[in-house]
Amino acid sequence: MNFVNTPATPVALELIGAAFSYGHDVALDEVTLSVHEGEALALIGPNGSGKSTFLKGVLGLLPVTAGTMEIFGAVRGPDTARSLGYLPQSDEVDPEFPVSLEQVVMMGRYRRMGWWRLPARADRAAVAEALRLTGLTTLAKKRFGLLSGGQQQRGLLARALAANPRMLLLDEPFNGLDQPNREALVETIRVLKGEGVTVLLTTHDLALAREVCDKVLLVNGTQIAFGSLADVLTLQNLQAAFSGFQVEVDEHSVVLPGHDGH
Amino acid sequence: MVFLDSLTTAFALPFMGRALIVLLVLSLAAGVIGVFINLRGLEFLSDGLTHAVFPGIAAGFVLGGRDGLYVGALIAAIAAAVVLTLLSNKRVSSDATIAIVLTAMFSLGVIFVSRSTDYAGQLESLLFGHLLTVTHTEVVVTSVVAIIALLLVVTTFRGQLFVAFDRSATQAVGYRPLLLNLTLNVAIALVVVAASSAVGNLLVLAVLIVPGAVARLATRRLALLFVVSAGFAMLASWFGLATAFGLSVSADVAIPGGATVVLFFVLGYLLMLGWRGIRR
Repeated sequence: MNFVNTPATPVALELIGAAFSYGHDVALDEVTLSVHEGEALALIGPNGSGKSTFLKGVLGLLPVTAGTMEIFGAVRGPDTARSLGYLPQSDEVDPEFPVSLEQVVMMGRYRRMGWWRLPARADRAAVAEALRLTGLTTLAKKRFGLLSGGQQQRGLLARALAANPRMLLLDEPFNGLDQPNREALVETIRVLKGEGVTVLLTTHDLALAREVCDKVLLVNGTQIAFGSLADVLTLQNLQAAFSGFQVEVDEHSVVLPGHDGH
Repeated sequence: MVFLDSLTTAFALPFMGRALIVLLVLSLAAGVIGVFINLRGLEFLSDGLTHAVFPGIAAGFVLGGRDGLYVGALIAAIAAAVVLTLLSNKRVSSDATIAIVLTAMFSLGVIFVSRSTDYAGQLESLLFGHLLTVTHTEVVVTSVVAIIALLLVVTTFRGQLFVAFDRSATQAVGYRPLLLNLTLNVAIALVVVAASSAVGNLLVLAVLIVPGAVARLATRRLALLFVVSAGFAMLASWFGLATAFGLSVSADVAIPGGATVVLFFVLGYLLMLGWRGIRR
């Protein structure tokens, strides 16, 4: 494997000593990292460690209560928000909800369309392209609630993609996916990265992080480590983040002993 | 024959014409708004709103009479919508909150009305409407209020649909859920005000909830939902009104118009349930 120097692409996301809080409760602090355009960052840590908090912070749903954060070289605001796409953790969708997959994906264009404008050619083209990228073109007219869980997940990803985001935030995108859907998603992420889209994703699956991500942020209420996969995913770091938790390492399930001996 | 007659020519009578106009405008607004009530499961909140608006209607009536009740009613409607939106946003058990606000406000309204001279008669009119004696002023005010309610929901349509479909992602894509909820709740409260002359404060719930429920049974296509909902409400209103009129003219049975209309709404719902049952 060749040694790759720092990528030539511009910085997409940069945090220096950043903290995110819910009210007075600091959920995640001391985050210092930089991700370049076209790179994918895996957020890894136990449940409640601040992975989703991080995504919400980037989205602007939580305040930055310490340090700094810049998205595409600008302080977070309405302009940066428009460049982000978000895939929430898969929710139960009411199977009777009367929208087709295509209508759901069109929701991704709402922000550009405002309250009034009818879908224009560009909107329809973006929807078609998002459906193609996620491999759902043939299901466009189907009611969203009738799709399988994995297809719904890809449909919501297509909704995020329809807005042509420069950065994509995926919260546990691989949870509950079967093998074909998982592979389809991995492939989609690769294509997006190739187009220069920056990807931030939370996952429990280290093997998956290795497959699609360039960098890792390991958290447990605070930053444990950040860097390349090889540098970060060391036993010592994982113990610090996951003491006592069960993790999947290369298809082996291990319970990491606590670093304090418990 | 008499029934067919009352479906058409009866509406040449000025009081019947006024009743029909009020019902049709109301049906249009409630039909569209009712779809969102149904999609979001806001039936109980709507119930709470109808009762929370009641003291405003009652106070307005005591102070300003029939044509003057709208000022108090509108203030109460907006206040009730704001309070219920904020309370249900707080994640305290939303049902308990609504139930408490609902009963407290309703009691307050009853006390207001009790201060007026013809207590029983006025209370009945406020609770069940006075469809066949709607005045010209009431037609105008009702229509304006109902159309404002409709516009609130139509202008925020995309946001409302997004919240209804995927509440968790609403904020992340840049919508403000609180503002959208407030808009919808104000619209519901305005329909309650608009309906006070025609069907009254108790029966308005049927007008808000039944058309959306019927439309959900009838179709799964988004665009059709709104058409079916409003169309059904208009048809049921027309038939109900004609029936009330026909019965009182031909059979000399004077039955209240508002209640008859509501029964036609419910009848339509039952027929739709049956039709769905057969098709399965």
